[in-house]
Amino acid sequence: MNLEEMLEVTKIYSILGLNSMDDPIITTRPFRNPHHTVTPTSLVGGGKYPKPGEISLANYGILYLDELPEFNKNSLESLRGPLEDRKISISRLNTTITYPCKFMLMASMNPCQCGYYGSKERKCSCTAEQIRKYINRVSGPLLDRIDIHIEVNPIKYSQIEKKHKIETSKEIKTRVNMARKLQTERYKKLNIFSNSELTPQLIEKFCIPTSSGKKILEMAIDKLGLSMRAYHRILKVARTIADLETSEKIEEKHLAEAIQYRSLDRKYWQK
Amino acid sequence: MLSIIKSIALQGLDGYLVSIQVDISNGIPDFKIVGLPDTSVKESKERVISAIKNSNIEFLSKKIIINLSPASTKKEGSIFDLPIAVGILIASKKIKNSNLEKILNETIFVGELSLNGNIEKTKGILPICIEAKKLGIKRIILPKQNTKEASIIKDIEICPISTIKEVINYLNGQQEIATEIEEINLKNNIEYDIDFADIKGQESVKRALEVTASGGHNCLLIRTTRIRENNVGKKNDNNLARYEFRRNARGNKNI
Repeated sequence: MNLEEMLEVTKIYSILGLNSMDDPIITTRPFRNPHHTVTPTSLVGGGKYPKPGEISLANYGILYLDELPEFNKNSLESLRGPLEDRKISISRLNTTITYPCKFMLMASMNPCQCGYYGSKERKCSCTAEQIRKYINRVSGPLLDRIDIHIEVNPIKYSQIEKKHKIETSKEIKTRVNMARKLQTERYKKLNIFSNSELTPQLIEKFCIPTSSGKKILEMAIDKLGLSMRAYHRILKVARTIADLETSEKIEEKHLAEAIQYRSLDRKYWQK
Repeated sequence: MLSIIKSIALQGLDGYLVSIQVDISNGIPDFKIVGLPDTSVKESKERVISAIKNSNIEFLSKKIIINLSPASTKKEGSIFDLPIAVGILIASKKIKNSNLEKILNETIFVGELSLNGNIEKTKGILPICIEAKKLGIKRIILPKQNTKEASIIKDIEICPISTIKEVINYLNGQQEIATEIEEINLKNNIEYDIDFADIKGQESVKRALEVTASGGHNCLLIRTTRIRENNVGKKNDNNLARYEFRRNARGNKNI
């Protein structure tokens, strides 16, 4: 983090008295993982004298919500606005207070109560109605705001035994940092530094697919009936994938991967 | 006699200047705080009286009225303890200095009092210092424990104090306050004991998380099994956080 980001994060921790006296400046990106019993107020902030909530504490860092469907419906839906605006305004009779919340949302969940729905190895013991009920606790509009959906399947014994070299975090980090650098260079004048922060106008400017890419995008939009928001998010993710390969153009394969990250909601949510 | 002390109150992440006006007059002994104080500000009455008494200073039984201006916004928190105490001491002529008016004009006071006259650490020091700098305040008197947090803000004189006696001696011109500032470590040197290399298989998940970290996107993991994967998810997330931590490690100075 640069100094200004550190100060912005530390300000929030300072107000709540959460920074230590010996090391008062927060220098690492925050990682917050509130339990699923969190109330809407403590998640987004509030109170008589509005205090920042978990999303503001995760400013410039990660908000991790484990067991997403178990969260209170109100808590989850209150994330909709902040996920788009990247700030939260809390209005009270006397004042309106705005806190920043430029967080990355990470969430994980089981697709049903027994946990095996969609698994190839085990049979799910839930009824169709139970599955529908469970999965619909995560609403469509919230899902629409999450760019990347990915399935985690159990691994085979052969993979456990295999002694091949696995990439370390360090190696992956070099690539990530390179992609980040490309983005900060590109958006230098715009006061943003990652693809996820692009507005629709900026997407038109920076995320132009090749003609074959456009074709695949057209097919996906028409066949899958994707929303405009989903369309923009696919373009942003494709931009990132292209950046990881230091490719200036957004090609077919980049778009295909990005679209694939949006296909799980069809498998689970639209039954 | 009347005295006016400056302090800063916070509203969200921003602050505003509060002037604490103390008036001591003859009459039936009384102690009132006006200007929309909440419970924690009202209670400072008791802390201030005890702290002054326990610092071996006579507390006059007179009619004391304290106004927190602007009087129309609600004030909360314990940071007004110190300015209220200083205001009372000046209004009751326990502090005398020919330069006093000038000093008070360019200084803000923040701090919570304990009953024995010690100054305790308070919340929100960083935003207060940032606001003070914006307002062109020259000096800030604050609890000693908060020195480090305040010292990141340059171009403002920081006077850390630990007892109410020190403040009196300082304002009387009998004692200087050491304002030596420690360097704060802004390096991020946290080592994580988790690594992507510990996770077997799951290449597609790792790839997705790599993309997520690279672009700052949002991500949802759907687990089709119950055991262990939870661990994988958490591991990934922490690592992801680590990439994030370093995301501006190189050459990002534009913001």
